[in-house]
Amino acid sequence: MNSELRELPAVELSTLPLILKTMSESGIADQMRLTDLILNDQDFFPKLMDVFRICEDLENIDGLHMIFKIVRGIIMLNSPQIFEKIFGDELIMDVIGSLEYDPDISHIQHHRNFLKEHVVFKEAIPIRDPHVLSKIHQTYRVGYLKDVVLARILDEGTVANLNSIIHANNAVVVSLLKDDSTFIQELFARLGSPATSAESKKNLVYFLHEFCSLSKSLQMVQQLRLFRDLMNEGIFDIIADTLQSEDKKIVLTGTDILILFLNQDPNLLRSYVVRQEGIRLLGLLVKGMITDFGEDMHCQFLEILRSLLDSYTLSGAQRDNIIEIFYEKHLGQLIDVITASCPNEEVPSSSGKSSGFGERVDTRNGMKPEILSNICELLCFCVLHHPYRIKCNFLLDNLIEKVLTLTRRKEKYLVVAAVRFVRTILSRHDEHLINHFVKNNLLKPIVDAFVSNGDRYNLLNSAILELFEFIRKVPTLLSPLFSFHLRYVQKYALHIICSMQENLKSLLKYIVDSFWNELVKFEHLTSIQSLKVKYEQCLEQCGAKSTGDILDPRKRNDERALEKEEEDYFNEDSDEEDTASASHTQKPHAQSVSSNGVAAGYPSLSPRSSGLVDYDDDEDDEDYRPPPKKQQETPEADEGNIESLGMKRKLLSKDKERRLGKQSKAREGVFAALCSTLSHAVLPSKKAETAVHATPEDGNEGSIEESHQENDPDILRTCSDNNSTSGEENHKEKDPACPKSCSDCLHSTSENGQMVGDDGPLISPPKSSPEMTVNGS
Amino acid sequence: MSDLDRQIEQLKRCEPLKESEVKALCLKAMEILVEESNVQRVDAPVTICGDIHGQFYDMKELFKVGGDCPKTNYMFLGDFVDRGFYSVETFLLLLALKVRYPDRITLIRGNHESRQITQVYGFYDECLRKYGSVSVWRYCTDIFDYLSLSALIENKVFSVHGGLSPAISTLDQIRTIDRKQEVPHDGAMCDLLWSDPEDIVDGWGLSPRGAGFLFGDSVVTSFNHSNNIDYICRAHQLVMEGYKWMFKNQIVTVWSAPNYCYRCGNVAAILELDENLNKQFRVFDAAPQESRGAPAKKPAPDYFL
Repeated sequence: MNSELRELPAVELSTLPLILKTMSESGIADQMRLTDLILNDQDFFPKLMDVFRICEDLENIDGLHMIFKIVRGIIMLNSPQIFEKIFGDELIMDVIGSLEYDPDISHIQHHRNFLKEHVVFKEAIPIRDPHVLSKIHQTYRVGYLKDVVLARILDEGTVANLNSIIHANNAVVVSLLKDDSTFIQELFARLGSPATSAESKKNLVYFLHEFCSLSKSLQMVQQLRLFRDLMNEGIFDIIADTLQSEDKKIVLTGTDILILFLNQDPNLLRSYVVRQEGIRLLGLLVKGMITDFGEDMHCQFLEILRSLLDSYTLSGAQRDNIIEIFYEKHLGQLIDVITASCPNEEVPSSSGKSSGFGERVDTRNGMKPEILSNICELLCFCVLHHPYRIKCNFLLDNLIEKVLTLTRRKEKYLVVAAVRFVRTILSRHDEHLINHFVKNNLLKPIVDAFVSNGDRYNLLNSAILELFEFIRKVPTLLSPLFSFHLRYVQKYALHIICSMQENLKSLLKYIVDSFWNELVKFEHLTSIQSLKVKYEQCLEQCGAKSTGDILDPRKRNDERALEKEEEDYFNEDSDEEDTASASHTQKPHAQSVSSNGVAAGYPSLSPRSSGLVDYDDDEDDEDYRPPPKKQQETPEADEGNIESLGMKRKLLSKDKERRLGKQSKAREGVFAALCSTLSHAVLPSKKAETAVHATPEDGNEGSIEESHQENDPDILRTCSDNNSTSGEENHKEKDPACPKSCSDCLHSTSENGQMVGDDGPLISPPKSSPEMTVNGS
Repeated sequence: MSDLDRQIEQLKRCEPLKESEVKALCLKAMEILVEESNVQRVDAPVTICGDIHGQFYDMKELFKVGGDCPKTNYMFLGDFVDRGFYSVETFLLLLALKVRYPDRITLIRGNHESRQITQVYGFYDECLRKYGSVSVWRYCTDIFDYLSLSALIENKVFSVHGGLSPAISTLDQIRTIDRKQEVPHDGAMCDLLWSDPEDIVDGWGLSPRGAGFLFGDSVVTSFNHSNNIDYICRAHQLVMEGYKWMFKNQIVTVWSAPNYCYRCGNVAAILELDENLNKQFRVFDAAPQESRGAPAKKPAPDYFL
């Protein structure tokens, strides 16, 4: 209609209906014209607001409703220039006022009253610049408009524009304040001064928190610079003081600030913590983690500690320092909390019957179960991040046994947490630790927990059954990885699997030998039954063979056998797949071999595999240590302490040499180098967790074995981490950004021997939608 | 009136709880959920609901149509959070009902009950916006890890968020999943939460979602047969009519978020099963605009900047 929309009528009470009509009937093209007209008419808004005030005085509800609709319509035009006008100091309160009269809501809103009477603008440090002040107030009011007044009306586009106004304002405010050196100095002087009252210190800390959190609106570089400046001003000292406050809210605000820093650049905090004056802060964080915060949430401590101890992103010296301090000073502290909070009397050791959960001794002191659960979570994290460092504590300080006292707690989620801890350790397939478990009967608390849980099918029951399944399902040659045409990869994998088989079998034997009397009651469960069956199979194998490598399937290591097995894998249900449905076996047939002869298995078709071996822990995937390119001069702290490179390893090593022969050994070297190159290319910052003394040429056989045993799975994983060359082998159907991607398939091209795939779990959330659920959107 | 009842009333008005209340609620919920099975046994009668996705006011419509909890027994098939504006209130209300009436409401985990997914699709941001810190998100996502993976109604109806897994041919196999973890990127647990039935697939196919699988008629037939169940009830996919049968009534999708994302224009449905497992679908529309009460966000009463 509005092709003749040339001008708006002058704003008067009598013209309101016409203006409203013009607005509501204008199409998209007219809206731009309308926007121009409104902007060009300098008097439009002042007049409209005059009329509004008149209507309000006269209690002219019809007029007020019309003005509401007009103002709403104008806001919905979503014009930045209009926003600039109406959000100015002179107009904004009237605009908000006019929006109090929503005809669709029966009662009148009292927005202006709220803004004027109830909202308090707090000035921790007086801000003198009127421009800054005006922006601060405007930001609050625009936010109020968006979140409260117009929350149900606004469309996404308008919300986005309002957000960008807020964002821009925040940036201006923060950057003006941070450049105001007197302001910052005053802030820190008052924060640090003993003369400042507790109340005003509290406000200063709250201010600091808002200041840091609004700095997200700055550009990355500026934000980084700001945080560095704040660090140099001594913000971490201030926070350390804050963490010692009696007021729990203030303590938590302090941790929130730390998290803001960690999200921005974790290295700032880390570099502080390793300094002399920063050691205190680490201690306070550990203390905070084991402090009862009553009804307040305090999971921040765990998060901060995790970030500080994260071995994947830490750089060398810092990492070693922080980790060393943590292990020396604080790990014991955490363990003590567990031992002090769990009943420590021996559960009767001989009989199969342990006391039921209900009878078990209740909390010995007031330690919140939540804290124990956090400690246990941090310990699992440590197992994954510092496997070698924590291993010393495991072997020397009996740490596992202490943590396992958690199984005596009545809270079932703590028992579950203890099971998870054991499962995390076992998934590392570390021979020493597995022997340690066997030698010290460490699975007893787990089995006891299982038995006293009885026939209840709950999370505890499932978690322990899963643990048993993990032990039973010794990785076999039928792993889909063997669809590889890279023989040296197979041999590598074979070797790893052999050592895993050894380890897990000793565990299996230990379980059945020690606990079958108790477990027999649960024989009706498939998992328990299978445990026994597997045990008997192992025994049979042992009996049948006369040589030392009875349980060792290395005999299979010839290429024909491999090919045969490969075929078998794809042609029939294997024992590995005993839990998988018969129907799905069609799939590998259809898809396992691509036209160029490259086979790609679908490991997800086997019960829980996701890679070479039966790692089901996601975290496990992250825990990778690229093999170093060259021999390292100094062994790192993580190693060194373990001196038990036994004879067995040497034997194994020789055995392996004999098996693989010269040629494959050379290939191994090539392969390791390739892996190493890939890993360095992909994740240059990640560093080898351990000293590996070995290239295959290295004379030290013991350490060759050690390094291979410890690192092999990770080498393979490392390669699979490299997704960069995944081109043709990737399945087109799959969305590369989605959580799974082609994670589990290790693809290979036989020509160049490159392995591609994406094994790692996403460290950052996927950017693109992993879902395509919305047909209609 | 107990604290919990008061909190339920408050949540029904779409007002979020205080952080301290969320913490207490989550700790109680943890103790209840840890006792549940990966395949939770559920008695009929029960009303089955699909995805909600933070559409709080539409969930209130759902309760209007289906009856209040605990008068009606409910089972929710996951995806309580993300996309809608009120994930916090939605999830907390369901969780509070669970704690208050543990035997009257069953909550199953969906693929959106995950740390990674919620960081992308809104729940994380919503917590940050409504509470100023991510602690509430952290507590809620910790609870997600405890949620059951599936349910079995009167031994006859298998209910799960997504669908089947090639690694699972019998219900017994679900038992040995340690569910207390972030939803993995593959494997049985992932598949249960991510897979979809698909007409044109014979057997198993790759899922365009990038996680889980597509599964065809034959897969469902053999699963239902070998587990002696009548049909599978799942959610996870938008269906414009609110529910959809597939594969000769062997599997049904139930979708309970009307006008999904406030713009898809679909209707929603819930499936009522009486004590004899007779089925009755109830279809409902999005809540009318005016019933979407006061805005949820309470502005901070003071500000420094």
